[in-house]
Amino acid sequence: MTSTAVNTFSIPLGPVHVALEEPVYFHLDVEGETIRKVELTSGHVHRGMEAMATQRNLTKNTTLTERVCSLCSNSHSFTYCMAAENVLGLDIPPRARYLRVLAEEIKRVASHLFNTAIQAHVIGFKSLFMHTMEVREIMQDVKETVYGNRMNLAQNCIGGVKCDLTPELLSYILDMVDKMEPGVEEIRELYATNSMVLGRTKGLGLLPKKDALRLGVVGPVARGSGINIDVRKDSPYAAYPELEFDTIVNDGCCIHSRTTVRLNEIFESFRLIRQCCRRVPEGPTKAPMRQIRAAEACARTEAPRGEVFYYIRTNATDIPARLKWRVPSYMNWEALGVMMKDCKVADVALITNSIDPCVSCTER
Amino acid sequence: MTDTLLAIVHMAIFPGGFFALALGFLYKALDRRVEARLQRRIGPPLTQPWLDAAKLLTKETLIPKTACRSAFLLAPVFGFTGMAVCAAFIPVPGVYSGLFNMGDLLVIFYLLPIPAMALMLGGSASSSPFGALGFSREMLLMLAYETPLLMILLAVAMLVGKGLGAESSGAEFSLLKIVAWQQENGSLGFNPAMIPALLAYLIFLPGTMGMAPFDVAEAETELLEGPLLEYGGPLLALFTVTSAFKTFVVLGLGVALFFPGVLGSWWPVNLVWFVLKCLALMLLSLTLVKSACGRLRIDQAFRFYVTVPTALALCSLVLVWLL
Repeated sequence: MTSTAVNTFSIPLGPVHVALEEPVYFHLDVEGETIRKVELTSGHVHRGMEAMATQRNLTKNTTLTERVCSLCSNSHSFTYCMAAENVLGLDIPPRARYLRVLAEEIKRVASHLFNTAIQAHVIGFKSLFMHTMEVREIMQDVKETVYGNRMNLAQNCIGGVKCDLTPELLSYILDMVDKMEPGVEEIRELYATNSMVLGRTKGLGLLPKKDALRLGVVGPVARGSGINIDVRKDSPYAAYPELEFDTIVNDGCCIHSRTTVRLNEIFESFRLIRQCCRRVPEGPTKAPMRQIRAAEACARTEAPRGEVFYYIRTNATDIPARLKWRVPSYMNWEALGVMMKDCKVADVALITNSIDPCVSCTER
Repeated sequence: MTDTLLAIVHMAIFPGGFFALALGFLYKALDRRVEARLQRRIGPPLTQPWLDAAKLLTKETLIPKTACRSAFLLAPVFGFTGMAVCAAFIPVPGVYSGLFNMGDLLVIFYLLPIPAMALMLGGSASSSPFGALGFSREMLLMLAYETPLLMILLAVAMLVGKGLGAESSGAEFSLLKIVAWQQENGSLGFNPAMIPALLAYLIFLPGTMGMAPFDVAEAETELLEGPLLEYGGPLLALFTVTSAFKTFVVLGLGVALFFPGVLGSWWPVNLVWFVLKCLALMLLSLTLVKSACGRLRIDQAFRFYVTVPTALALCSLVLVWLL
């Protein structure tokens, strides 16, 4: 036993670390370069948002929930609005359903490309990072042009959407998607063939299907381990039942297979964006508000990182009695222990990035 | 007496000291600038390394409480001294022929690993676990890239020794003679037997400079600069200055070993020619490689160095021995 005590030493990784976008603390017990034990501590960005939600009225909470996270900001307000509509018994107009999907898929493209770019940054491949971010910039421009913001779109409101898109804007989105697709295609090929990227990601950070099911992981992490789950298919909402798209599944179970899932999902998002722009029906974008009753409801959607779940309980006032949400990173988090088993120090940041963690969402 | 004075001038002004520092900083800035342009960024101005060093000099020197104080303070000085002396040995063809004309190649071989050793010393003295990891990685990598370097130097020395015939005893370790021989008989970089050695030298450069894909010891996103993590202020400035000297030394050595040709006998032209040759060597082996690569893991980097460049250098060595 003494020999292990001599050989292992501990490394503090985080809470502030270049490779992590958000604060989380890993306590690593290391033997040479190999990790023997990982302990995860979080809570650095707890903002008390669930308590804040019970101090604001339903409308103001749309703005609050949009600020839970940055990359999947739209998913939070989207799911919150769906939950609120369920509790109010509102049925939103068809045009609003399409416009909501459009905003959601635009955010998904930007989020997946961001995660892919960060992977290149973590392995020290600066040129690939810059290139991926440059392609992503087209989507940022779309967001800014259409919604007026580069991160928080503020598109969702209870009963529908805030911003109605003119035919000019819709054709602008189509043009931009056409412009972006070859760039993403090139990036997909780079990640699939570049030996530097493959050497650092393929066969590493393994999450076998068995463990993935046991831990209940969601989103691209689950799909990268060969589990076919996607809320958009499993419990269709908004305009998804009327649109055609495929669920991308990869059996690799490693970091590379998660990246592949994300990159391929971008093309499915392009398909959805195109369908939305072409098929969006005419009509109103908002349903009128209703009397608030005492009730409870929930809603779930597929955010870029996986399933987001919202629960709301109202007590006949405009301030909700309870608002509770569960984010995908909370489920994927636990899988890190399995993925990091006996990995190298060099791979810790890479594996963490592969679950696309959203610390702010999880701790809120 | 005049010899000593001259040696001091060579170490302080040309080619070591000020000249090496200015050139090293210029190359570092150009490296960043060209890399930025390749990534469609603008990049920092050419004065950036000077500004960085000047700013670091104004900062406070912080020493971790748990660090081994003397080793922590001495490590950067040790590395700096090694490289400052080494820079004086680098011949500038057509301008300056080296500090002395006997076995200086061996002296350079012994002086070259000193900055890496200083980094290891500083890293382990800093008491930071990242420093310790950086230490082990640096040591592993150094063992891997010093072997091909030794073979390259041996191949050059043997080839020139054979060429000189009776004048030398088998292998020639004087840079002065190596450079002079090449100026008469053609550069070794164009000699078919030496092309593998040249390639091995190009591969050796990013490893010894700690640049991508071999920046494993300082790996920013893994080890947060590893051994340099606890350094700041003037001590860190000394490390950057050492690195600038080293850039000059390894590029100048490459030029002396493989392309020491001159343009006429007017020294300013030869000086500019030397600067341009070093620049070409740097862009080819450091900047382009850096912008086309990610970082390897230490085991991958080690395996790469003990196979590819070692095999290339060995190939040249055998060719020289046979022909």
